[in-house]
Amino acid sequence: MDIVLGIKVSDGVVIATSKAATRGISILKDTDDKTRDLSDHNLMAFTGESGDTVQFAEYIQANIQLYNMREGHELSPYAVSHFVRNTLAKSLRSRKPYQVNALLAGYDTDKKTPSLSWIDYLGTKADLPYAAHGYAAFYTLSLLDHHYRKDMTVEDGLRLLKLCNKELNTRMPIDFKGLQVKVVNKDGVKVVDGEW
Amino acid sequence: MNSIAQQFRHTNPAHEAFQDNDNEFFESGVDLKMAPSITVPPISQPTEFLRAHTDDASNPDCKIKIAHGTTTLAFRFKEGIIVAVDSRATAGDWIASQTVNKVIRINPFLLGTMAGGAADCQYWETWLGTQCRLHELREKERISVAAASKILGNLVYQYKGMGLSMGTMVCGFTKKEGPTIYYVDSDGSRLKGDMFCVGSGQTFAYGVLDSNYKWDLSVEDALYLGKRSILAAQHRDAYSGGSINLYHVTESGWVYHGNFDFDDTFWKVKASEGSFNNVDA
Amino acid sequence: MSNPASINGGSAVAMVGKDCVAIACDLRLGNQSLGVANNFEKVFQFGHVFLGLTGLATDVITLNETFRFKTNLYKMREERDIEPETFANLVSTSLYEKRFGPYFVGPIVAGINSKTNQPFICSFDSIGCIDYSKDFAVVGTASDQLYGMCEGLYEPNLSPDDLFETISQALLNANDRDALSGWGAAVYIITKDKISKRYLKSRQD
Repeated sequence: MDIVLGIKVSDGVVIATSKAATRGISILKDTDDKTRDLSDHNLMAFTGESGDTVQFAEYIQANIQLYNMREGHELSPYAVSHFVRNTLAKSLRSRKPYQVNALLAGYDTDKKTPSLSWIDYLGTKADLPYAAHGYAAFYTLSLLDHHYRKDMTVEDGLRLLKLCNKELNTRMPIDFKGLQVKVVNKDGVKVVDGEW
Repeated sequence: MNSIAQQFRHTNPAHEAFQDNDNEFFESGVDLKMAPSITVPPISQPTEFLRAHTDDASNPDCKIKIAHGTTTLAFRFKEGIIVAVDSRATAGDWIASQTVNKVIRINPFLLGTMAGGAADCQYWETWLGTQCRLHELREKERISVAAASKILGNLVYQYKGMGLSMGTMVCGFTKKEGPTIYYVDSDGSRLKGDMFCVGSGQTFAYGVLDSNYKWDLSVEDALYLGKRSILAAQHRDAYSGGSINLYHVTESGWVYHGNFDFDDTFWKVKASEGSFNNVDA
Repeated sequence: MSNPASINGGSAVAMVGKDCVAIACDLRLGNQSLGVANNFEKVFQFGHVFLGLTGLATDVITLNETFRFKTNLYKMREERDIEPETFANLVSTSLYEKRFGPYFVGPIVAGINSKTNQPFICSFDSIGCIDYSKDFAVVGTASDQLYGMCEGLYEPNLSPDDLFETISQALLNANDRDALSGWGAAVYIITKDKISKRYLKSRQD
């Protein structure tokens, strides 16, 4: 029931994740952060099996940071997304596969382009203008099909996200305790303040 | 013919039990003897047997594939009710038809929508039509939407657990009720409401419908919204598609607003709205 | 359902013409009923050989990368591009290596041998059995429908233009009867000295 949503706009990527951390019939926390900064311009948002998610995200984070330190430059979003996909695809045929779905938001500082990759636990990867995992996809994709424009700004993206949030709040059967919103652009990763 | 069948009919306790209770469940004057007798498997637990072999929700590997997958919607607004549906029928991944009629015209004032088992909906909503006509003849007045939907609701409840699969909206306009929608499904739920989307593409339709809906919509805008919501669902949901059938229910009965092929409509809407930017022209 | 080969959906087809071959695929990537992407191409080029890969999308990506790696090494050792017949054997052995934990894919190979100028197509099962074909080869969730279309439309010795028309109609109409295929299509027409790639406008439902 976790929500992970991403919208790519002309100068960045908007990422939203639900703040509820649910176990069984209880909400354990209403300020959960389902994202990790992989590097200055790469952010990973994730959902899936509890335990696996954070372990996997931090394993990826450590490896990306190790690469940055060794090589002295930042891996491109394209390279990062393939590294994540490859890790999941290998894990799939291991004794205990990671059951983690991820969205990778990045900004390529060389090409000056934003990037959004949808990756599921099988290692399926798709580069998309907007994407979502889980039930949220079923409610928001039709809205995004309707209102998304290629030349949108971050502000337009946030307006569109408000619309998605409203729909999720009206139709989702459980309270997801609002969204945490982050933007990835040329200046790096920033949390968007405000009531979501 | 029935007397011959009677001789060879296998009776079992489960079957008899629900025949005895027939009349309790029905509105006064509705005679279940009017319902054609439906054969059930002649075994001790017909419900389990049917669920195992015909219900692919609980058993994905079942061999008897019943046509499934749909998007249907109905909503109330100032000028009446809009009913919009898709026209695809699938059996597993196979598209069995792109030209299914998922709105059943129960009578000039009542419409029923079809989602779930195609045959189940078609059969029982046609049967509902005869019940409504009998009500008219007996009572010399048109049946209310509440009563009509309850006849259907009670009927499907009799068969609960035997694998009937229906998600339907009974839509109508009567003097005393005004424009009215009842959602009735094969679990036995029966809900009155202003807006329902039913079927595998329901969520996609809700997405568009919720964000554009207003009570004061003009008839033209409301018809477009109904069509647009089904279009959104047909695009994303693999099991919805084909074409769109549109109806407007008014106080003088329902008005059919035509059949719109998905392919034509999609490219037209994309061009005029500037939407569907995930698709290259 | 819950069959790995039909989670993501997709289909591909190859055909032989007169001194030409064609290979085509749809562009849908789905997650069961949900359409996720409409830019997921399933035909890949290795020199002058083409590989269509349908089935579980993660394996499609993995195998494309594996074969890119293997054909690049081949090119360095042999100082020439791999031929279709050789590539078919490479695909076969690579798949059989995973005999007891297979890749859930349906591959087809198409190309023209650069020495003999002979058109070549074949298809495989998921563990590498080669099915050589003189006319057409089909794989994917719409393979039943594709067999029907191909049996009906195919005739031998078609010109490149006629072959394009035939393979396009076969794919498009087969996809229109499969819930998990469609959302666009890509068609390659390959002759001895020209490769053309065209995208088809198709139904988006």
